Amino acid sequence: MVHSEDCSIIFRIKGILEFVCLLDDSNDAQCTISKTFQGLNSKVSSKNLVFTVSNSAVLIWPNNTFQSSMDSLTDTSTCGDILKYIEADNSESKKSSKKKDRKNSGPNVVNMKLLFEVTEPAGNGAPNLYTVIRQQHFVRMPLPMDCILSVTSNESLANACNVLVESLRKQLSDMEEVVIRCRKGSSLLVPQPFHFQLPEPTGLTTVIYPAGVPDSQLQGVREDLHKKFELPGDRPCLRRANAFRFPDEAYKDGYLRNPHVHLNPPNIDNAKLYLVQGVYSYHHYMQDRVNDDGWGCAYRSLQTIFSWFRQQGYAEMAVPTHTQIQQALVDVGDKEPNFFGSRQWIGSFEVQAVLNHLLGVTSKIMFVSHGSELASKGRELSNHFQTEGTPIMIGGGVLAHTILGVAWSEITGQIRFLILDPHYTGGEDLQIIIDKGWCGWKGPEFWDQNAYYNLCLPQRFKTI
Amino acid sequence: MGRSYIVEEAVEKYLCELQTPPGSCVTGLLVGQSSPQRDFVVLAVQTPHRESEGPAKASTRGSPLDDIDVEWVTEHARQVSRMLPGGLSILGLFLVTPPELSKDAQNTLKRLIFAVDKYITKGRLWELTEEDVTDRVTLHICSNTKKAVCRTFDVKDPKSSAKPADWKYQTSVLSSWPMLTCSVELDVHIPVTESASNSTEKCIQDGLRKWAKQIEAGHCLINGKRAFDDSEFISGQKKNPKITQRQTLPARILVSEEQPEVDERSSAQIQVCNVSARVQGVVHCRAYIHNNKPKARHAAQAIKRDIINTVSCRVEMFLEDLLISEGRQKGPCSGRQALPRRVFVPAPCSGLSLCDYMFPDESTGDVAERLKEMLDWDTPETDIDITLETNHLFCSEGIDSHGDSSKHFTSEVGTPKIQKAPQYYAGVAVAAAVALLATATSLLYFNE
Repeated sequence: MVHSEDCSIIFRIKGILEFVCLLDDSNDAQCTISKTFQGLNSKVSSKNLVFTVSNSAVLIWPNNTFQSSMDSLTDTSTCGDILKYIEADNSESKKSSKKKDRKNSGPNVVNMKLLFEVTEPAGNGAPNLYTVIRQQHFVRMPLPMDCILSVTSNESLANACNVLVESLRKQLSDMEEVVIRCRKGSSLLVPQPFHFQLPEPTGLTTVIYPAGVPDSQLQGVREDLHKKFELPGDRPCLRRANAFRFPDEAYKDGYLRNPHVHLNPPNIDNAKLYLVQGVYSYHHYMQDRVNDDGWGCAYRSLQTIFSWFRQQGYAEMAVPTHTQIQQALVDVGDKEPNFFGSRQWIGSFEVQAVLNHLLGVTSKIMFVSHGSELASKGRELSNHFQTEGTPIMIGGGVLAHTILGVAWSEITGQIRFLILDPHYTGGEDLQIIIDKGWCGWKGPEFWDQNAYYNLCLPQRFKTI
Repeated sequence: MGRSYIVEEAVEKYLCELQTPPGSCVTGLLVGQSSPQRDFVVLAVQTPHRESEGPAKASTRGSPLDDIDVEWVTEHARQVSRMLPGGLSILGLFLVTPPELSKDAQNTLKRLIFAVDKYITKGRLWELTEEDVTDRVTLHICSNTKKAVCRTFDVKDPKSSAKPADWKYQTSVLSSWPMLTCSVELDVHIPVTESASNSTEKCIQDGLRKWAKQIEAGHCLINGKRAFDDSEFISGQKKNPKITQRQTLPARILVSEEQPEVDERSSAQIQVCNVSARVQGVVHCRAYIHNNKPKARHAAQAIKRDIINTVSCRVEMFLEDLLISEGRQKGPCSGRQALPRRVFVPAPCSGLSLCDYMFPDESTGDVAERLKEMLDWDTPETDIDITLETNHLFCSEGIDSHGDSSKHFTSEVGTPKIQKAPQYYAGVAVAAAVALLATATSLLYFNE
């Protein structure tokens, strides 16, 4: 899970600004759109702008020489001062037993919403009715404003608010550019903000993408941004899937992400950790109301790997079900049609075939004739996690597992394997999964010393 | 356990002094505020005589109860309810009958109260909540004995039967009620696509309803504190009967433009329309809150409802007026037209202020006349406060805008100048102004 290391607070302001304009054949659409955005810019710059801090009674008027609803929050307050007004939201308590050696789980997120005051108006002219009688397109679109700011707790709150207002203005300008660029006649696409944690010095950055346009069609936009931010040209950094995950945002699909981060590393001298890079979901027996107890372990491992490629931005396709996996194998001719709907096992070769067919991902196959040999594969495995960083599917004996990393000492050759076990049949209870070792560090004795094993090592491919 | 009504002493005086021609009936409205525990009645207003009725009609028909013009009673109720600031509403009706008609009076009152409630809630842009009291009071007074019988009906339930209620007179019921005020700026864009099922009025109402929902969902600050819960909203106010000064509390409303019921779309919503309307300006709002441990959120609700009512009310009146003067074929004409503005009037006896709406071509004299007709008040014209909403330049004649109309949505509103010269156009860009001026001048001489 990525988070910013330097700053201790992230301010996030979200809200809707209604974009309304009239377009017809005679007027210049671009001009009208720009004028409308100008109007919204004025609105955001006006003294009627109000920030409300979620889970608190705090209201701030940032453009009205910093007024706030709390007497103790003034223009000399710091960002940290605001934290004591916020009631913690305990709806999702992160139960994790083995976090003793971890530092605090990340920056505090202060969520704020955009409001506008409708009282205290500038004038007092009674309302008029303005009517235009002409065939027109009445265009209405809610703009999903979403600005973020990393601050440290001793920075000035008033200053932070000013910067946020400035970010809102800049976001409007970025949105205007996207709306105009993607316009087709009167049809306008909603500009959506996405936040990305980019390497320093860039840090947290926001990019606007047009809604409804898939990542595959935004290649050119990403190329320009990769150049601008000096990002590597071979791996996805700015796909929607790469968007920054806020510490307080739960995953809506219910799968656990990266359970391994809650483990203490094994205690062996001079060992270095070589772990999976990025985010994967834990797929295991009995999920999605599929009873695959006893036969589905390799399928689940494949799902975990698939989820990795999806969440790193390599693919937009949904994680396939057992039957979709089977269909893929029938489609490539690897299996007879009667394989579909059966409860037959698959192995590393099938995993490799499906990854290739559905995602275009190639994989290396590693073979060991005896499980005991795995203890000597430290160098290959550590190299894999360093360069590719993808989860490994291992099948042998009668079992399949996922290897998420190794702890390996180059000097002594001692090795431990970080295993994610797809044979777990319970619910998404992190505590149990960690405590009972369904995700855990295992020694070389974990493998059947006499059975042969095949490992599928998926390879990244060059894309942005 | 029935409801109890605390009634202003002035109402007792008014009811006693009512002149009822022998053998006939008098109807009227009871105005006040409901709260879950008890209700307050602060004003009584007799239904004015309808001038069109000839004097000879009454005697030949059946009972005088049948002569009661239900339509007129409900129309009067609607006019009066438009004059009420927030917190106050029509709580019920009274009926004065001669003794021989007393036993039929209940039925008549029931009929009337349901008809009145139905009529005055048409066109309302906010919904009743579960906590709103739906009991309405009916007061029957015998013209001989002056004895009053008080019952309530639940207007939510057509089969409701009369329930007994307490009617108690008290002095200075209203005098220490705090008053919330605020000025609210609005700018609502409404597309109008006329079709068989959707009249212009309905389109405009739907457009305003969206805005009304935003106001209802908005945060309300009273005295700098959020008024959203059951806490008492006036802390520290002593219940000293000697306090005669009414507290005026400013309210602030903050709205969000979120619309949770709208699904997430990837593209803008486009509506083809042949007319687009925009209501823009500032309305002045007031609400009275009873002082019997009022809750903060009821106070917030009262002022929000007043905001919504005053806007929907004046738009309704404008469209009605248009209908009467121009007929069905014409909707609002192109250009900028002033909506009737709100003026405030102090009640003769209590410290209450009611309001009225003044059309651009009206004067305070017209308002005074209307007050006399509707409420039977004699108000000196100088008492009518017209300064809270300023008189904007208006074009009551139809002005078609030819040519470049992209200027219609200029965001500035001209500086208020209290001038009635129709040729003065504030806030319109120079080029368009010249064109408009030329067109307007010609149209003034050629009535459409």
